[in-house]
Amino acid sequence: MRSCRVGWLRGAEFETLHRVGEMGESLSVSVAVAEPGEINTAALTSGGRLRSSSGRLNSRTKADLRLGRAFTYYAIAIFFVITSFALTFALQHFFPYPFLFFFFGAVVASAWFGGSKPGLFSVILSTLVIDYFFVPPYRSFSISSTAEAYFAAFVACALIASWVSSSKRKAEEELKEARDELEHRVSDRTAALMKTQGELAHLSRMMSMAELTASIVHEIGQPLTGIVSNGQACLEWLSADPLNAEKARRSADHVVRDGTRAGAVLDRIRALFKKGPPAKEWVNINELMEELVTLLRDEARRRQIRIQTYLSHDLPKVKVDRVQIQQVILNLILNAMDAMSEPAPTESKVFLISQQNPQQEIVIRVEDCGVGLNPDISEKIFDPFFTTKEHGIGIGLSISRSIVESHNGRIRAFPRALGGTVFEFTIPVSAGEL
Amino acid sequence: MTNDAAVFVIDDDESVRDAVTNLLEAVNLRPRAFASTEEFFQVGRPNSPSCLILDVQFPGTTGLQFQQSLNRAGLLIPIIFITAHGDVPTAMSAIKAGAVEFLMKPFQKQDLLSAVYRGLEMDRVWLEERANNSTIYSRFSELTNRENEVMQLVTAGLSNKEIGWQLGLSETTVKIHRGRVMQKMQANSLPDLVRMSDRLKRHLGA
Repeated sequence: MRSCRVGWLRGAEFETLHRVGEMGESLSVSVAVAEPGEINTAALTSGGRLRSSSGRLNSRTKADLRLGRAFTYYAIAIFFVITSFALTFALQHFFPYPFLFFFFGAVVASAWFGGSKPGLFSVILSTLVIDYFFVPPYRSFSISSTAEAYFAAFVACALIASWVSSSKRKAEEELKEARDELEHRVSDRTAALMKTQGELAHLSRMMSMAELTASIVHEIGQPLTGIVSNGQACLEWLSADPLNAEKARRSADHVVRDGTRAGAVLDRIRALFKKGPPAKEWVNINELMEELVTLLRDEARRRQIRIQTYLSHDLPKVKVDRVQIQQVILNLILNAMDAMSEPAPTESKVFLISQQNPQQEIVIRVEDCGVGLNPDISEKIFDPFFTTKEHGIGIGLSISRSIVESHNGRIRAFPRALGGTVFEFTIPVSAGEL
Repeated sequence: MTNDAAVFVIDDDESVRDAVTNLLEAVNLRPRAFASTEEFFQVGRPNSPSCLILDVQFPGTTGLQFQQSLNRAGLLIPIIFITAHGDVPTAMSAIKAGAVEFLMKPFQKQDLLSAVYRGLEMDRVWLEERANNSTIYSRFSELTNRENEVMQLVTAGLSNKEIGWQLGLSETTVKIHRGRVMQKMQANSLPDLVRMSDRLKRHLGA
């Protein structure tokens, strides 16, 4: 059972790491959808397959549809030509010469809506109508020699107008199609990236968990020791002669107390490492920080570091994703402790501070007394895959930043006045209402 | 076990401290609990057999450091380590450093109690030996210089004649000194005296 679970976990991790690689490529070219043929997520390929199969199935209906549409375009052309004829006919008494501009309009409109063929069709139709009605001799298809040049100019202009209009329309349609395709790709890619980021965040939590294993073992081991020893003591008191009911009852009380404590530890761990969709709830940030400090107490003692908290106690509750925000704080504290591993600083302390600033934001600050940030890299530390640690993969701070930004907050790092580094992030008090 | 045997429990975690104390009480031992090693240092150890149950974060370093400071303070006491983070190497180093036992939390009653009884027994032997040594030493310090010389040569295996020759004394005088040595040291036989001499050498040399 256990080995099976490990296998599952490794699989998930492997998949996630694989995605990490993919994400590395795409992050470096911002959203890499602009490059055609680069999309390779499972979601997209399955979507593509779906589209092509539906095309094959409906080929008959599609042909019918195309025929119907062509018919409509030609009908539109006829309609425009008739309309221009009617208008020109109505207006011809007001002008000394045949007013043909309506026919240009008909040609341009037909070519625009129907494309080149309906455009050409409308040119021919207009030519016939003009020749018959408006070019002397009237009511005949013959052309008088005086009107020849005029008529030829009209045909040439109409042809050019039709061609320009239809090609312009075609270009616009292609552009629209490309934009739609692009939009589709962007949304698919964004979904894939969100999924990858969620998995990365989980991976990062798992790595923190690995780092905290010893601490967790200790936190659970303490109450378990209490339970076992008190339970055995209880049995001893019960089998004593004479039976000591008072002591036995007190031992049983302690078993319950320690069991409750172990349960609380498990709750804290579960809350910190659970995998699930992001869910916002009203949270007291100080409680969140205190829970973390409890969990980290043993780890800090092992590294001979003191964690000192300065929590402002009149902070309003904020609506945040508890797991994510706790992950950010945990990342920052673990980083702070790592920063003091070597060379050993004069003072091994991590300060954990919460307060509210005048901009109605909650400010959470983690300060260490370590070597401090190299100014050359202080800009890069929030970049993905940037790390100064031997065993790190450089996702902790970049995940932290994306979490803070998704809560409409900001995160930054700056040197501490007394040596060391300050990491600070903000969460707007109104974050929940956004 | 003897009623005056004391078991000290040092653990900064209240749950564990209470539980261990409770368990020891339930088997008729007399536990005394402390939250820190500093508190224990202030009280010190009694002259009756006792042992110490110590919770350590890192048995390798902290345990060793603590033992050294106990030695410096003259508070030598058998130690049973209990820890939540243990592995074989750290357990080995703790045992090598003189621990009675190294228990992983959560531990079983029998393991803890057998370690406690073993620790108390060790301490009883230590105390007895120390008491014996000091008795022998006080007898030894009553010997005159000449008797001291005679005792050293006798226990080195020399005969009365040889001793007399080496110290420039008659064999009869050596015999008288030797009789006084046996009497003052309350030795029943020559092997008895040799054993006492060995102990003294260890005691004075240590």
